[in-house]
Amino acid sequence: MGGQTARIARFIGVRLAVSAPVILGIVFLTFMLIRMGGQDPVAMLAGPMADEAMLNALRAQLQLDQPLLAQFANYMVRIAHGDLGVSWQGGIPVLNEIRHLFPATLELVLLSVALAALIGIPIGMRAATKPNGWFDQISRFASLAGFSMPTYWMGLMAILVFFYILRWAPAPMGRLSMEVAAPAVVTGSILVDALLEGNWRALGSALAHLALPVACFTMLAAAPMIKQTRAIVIEIMGSDYVRYARANGFSAATVRRMALRNAATPLLTFLGSELTSLLAAAALIEYIFSLSGLGQWGLNAILLGDFAVVQGYVLTLALFSMAIFMVIDLIVMLIEPRN
Amino acid sequence: MKTPGKLFLTILTLCVSWGAPVMAQEKTLVMAMSATPKGFDPDIWVPGQIEAAVNLYEGLTKYGTRSGANGKVEVDPSKIEPHLAESWTVSPDGKTYVFKLKRGVRSPFGNELTAQDIVWTYEKSALQKRTGQFMRTAARIEKVEAVSKYEVRYTLSDANRIFLGALTLHLPAIFDASEAKKHATPDDPYATKWLALNTAGYGPYHLQALQAGQQAVFVVNPNYAFKKPYYTKMIWREVPSPATRVALVRTGQVQYAEQIPFQQLTALRADNTVKVESVPGFGGATVRMNPRFPPFDKVKVRQAVAYATDYAAIGEAVFLGQGTRSRSMLNSPIAGAVNAYKYETDYNKAKQLLAEAGYPNGVDVTLEYSTNWWWEEPLVLQMQASLAKAGIRVTPKRIPSTEMLARRTINVWTVPFLTHLTSSFVPDPSYNMFLTAHCRGSSNVNANCDAAMDKLIDASVVERDQKRWLALIEQAQNLQADSATFIETFLPGTHEVFAACMKGYVWKPHNRLVWKDLSCSS
Repeated sequence: MGGQTARIARFIGVRLAVSAPVILGIVFLTFMLIRMGGQDPVAMLAGPMADEAMLNALRAQLQLDQPLLAQFANYMVRIAHGDLGVSWQGGIPVLNEIRHLFPATLELVLLSVALAALIGIPIGMRAATKPNGWFDQISRFASLAGFSMPTYWMGLMAILVFFYILRWAPAPMGRLSMEVAAPAVVTGSILVDALLEGNWRALGSALAHLALPVACFTMLAAAPMIKQTRAIVIEIMGSDYVRYARANGFSAATVRRMALRNAATPLLTFLGSELTSLLAAAALIEYIFSLSGLGQWGLNAILLGDFAVVQGYVLTLALFSMAIFMVIDLIVMLIEPRN
Repeated sequence: MKTPGKLFLTILTLCVSWGAPVMAQEKTLVMAMSATPKGFDPDIWVPGQIEAAVNLYEGLTKYGTRSGANGKVEVDPSKIEPHLAESWTVSPDGKTYVFKLKRGVRSPFGNELTAQDIVWTYEKSALQKRTGQFMRTAARIEKVEAVSKYEVRYTLSDANRIFLGALTLHLPAIFDASEAKKHATPDDPYATKWLALNTAGYGPYHLQALQAGQQAVFVVNPNYAFKKPYYTKMIWREVPSPATRVALVRTGQVQYAEQIPFQQLTALRADNTVKVESVPGFGGATVRMNPRFPPFDKVKVRQAVAYATDYAAIGEAVFLGQGTRSRSMLNSPIAGAVNAYKYETDYNKAKQLLAEAGYPNGVDVTLEYSTNWWWEEPLVLQMQASLAKAGIRVTPKRIPSTEMLARRTINVWTVPFLTHLTSSFVPDPSYNMFLTAHCRGSSNVNANCDAAMDKLIDASVVERDQKRWLALIEQAQNLQADSATFIETFLPGTHEVFAACMKGYVWKPHNRLVWKDLSCSS
């Protein structure tokens, strides 16, 4: 047991050490790219009636008149003190905004990936048992449809059909209905906070508001999941040990179980990449359904040249990706008998 | 039934019942807005601030109204009436105004408006050196002093026509200084940090709650000194997608949806569940040429561009027949607007002018645009097609909005050929011309620097004789049209989309929705 703990600690330590320069590189590149991209928020912030003196004063106030490397050094010092800066649009600290908005995005992404896995993995496995059979053909078509439909279009269609025509879905206007009191903030996730508080009304409303966006995102995430599972399982089913198992008379169900266990490692890694890519893609779904999550916030900041927010957004994505892959690699290390 | 089945049914029931469409409460107006306001201090421009601030802060004066051509009430820019000030006197040289404040004007905090509030407001603006200070400079306000508790004196450096119009605005905002001072700190003596995210004014509404990125709730000022607004609560919901905003207003979930794409307006007009209010406004979609860059340094090239522009096609393809042709850098309802811009599409004339300018084989230019306004890209593509017919080969180049704003700024002026919306808050011709066509104008985006033009504009600002003033304005408009640095296309207009029951909408020169005017007929 002690050996296992030491192994885990060593793994985490090594991974953190390796990740630190990667994160630093991402921060540096983001910082430089957004400043060298020709964007200058000063003119926008100063307003339509600003004169040159006002612009220069504002530029100095925001320290944008300093050399880029000096600005970067200041930024790194602030990050080291846990200060990600302040949004130039609203004067709200970026870290506060991330804490406030991240749970909304996390709810959307985690629910979608979980549902996509629940749908995609069994379908992929079933399709792989009889390649080119009728089920495989249908699943491939469904997967292709999921790949082909743009997220934006899918979201709009969902609103048109389920909100506008059928009136089944609630108004795509936030995470809760207006007449429902939000639960006290503990985690920031309305679902979790409502459960903790026993606020079933808020829970129902939050679930109803998440239904369409999660359905859209699930379709998007399930398509590659089906394809990936199918490919992995087909490869495993054609392997020597499966042929050997079949030759020994193991039942089809037992063989499938063996295949699933062996597929776990690549599928887990794929789930990790799904989580990170969906987090980055959440902006469009949040935009259409007015979910006010991290993606919508980041997208808006990119359009408006809100440097501190863009940096905070990219840093959050990078840290989240790093954390997800670390956890997944850790699980793989623990479940993989060859390790 | 087994427990998981019960749980599933309970959740399903909850989703269906509590996810049901929201019924607007009585006297609550729900608005689908593109983003929640990022701040409320009118001195600091941030997205959404103006839309909120015009309902939170009001001026000493206001524009009068008149009955328009279609019988609807409209703003009369020639009539300036008392508002927070009940009357004023002006010195014979026009440089000193004394305003008598209306008594009993109270903020939501119960504090009465006094001359000290006005003085404090101007001190704050001077310290911040932002938008309020610009308005002060534009209106040539030298000094603001309290004469008595209810009297305030403005001293101007020059008598000018902009001053009273500028006082109709929400900036510099007239704050409840007594309340604001409670939030001041030694580092922030004018409570700018508090006022950025809170409100303390004498207007009809004030902020109750803000959830950034989600919603802002405004409630009526219980002490509002004028006619009580119909709506007691305004819920501002962030709905960034225009398509979603359309769906919400059509289903009655919201009573107002902002920034609806032109393409949707025709369908919405035919929908009896919504009401579309359209006014031409005076904001003009223009294409500007910077005479500091060749080939636009030659007036004949600029005129060639004006003749090679297919105005009819722009009207149909870009503005879908819903715009109004712009005929000057000033447009109605601005007083003194004349049909100065007389260019019509004439490719032969354009080719001839190009040849005379030394470009017989045509010319290659890059037309830069951003996405500040929905019409910019279609306009550029239309310009590209029509200018090609005269040998002006246009390469469209889309750049980020912030880059455009930075590069077109006064004295930077590094965009040779660009799209731009001409607009201002004050429908005064001198102010508008100064803003956009004077070498020192802050909305002069294309280095429109002509000594003769500046002289005319400067003279018009201080001219007090009506006849001479109108003559100066006409001369300036003609001079500007001849120089052809602005291609005047269309006034896109303001198109507001409401629930069918809404009434009372009156367009204001600041081009923002004034909530206190609205009511519902059912």
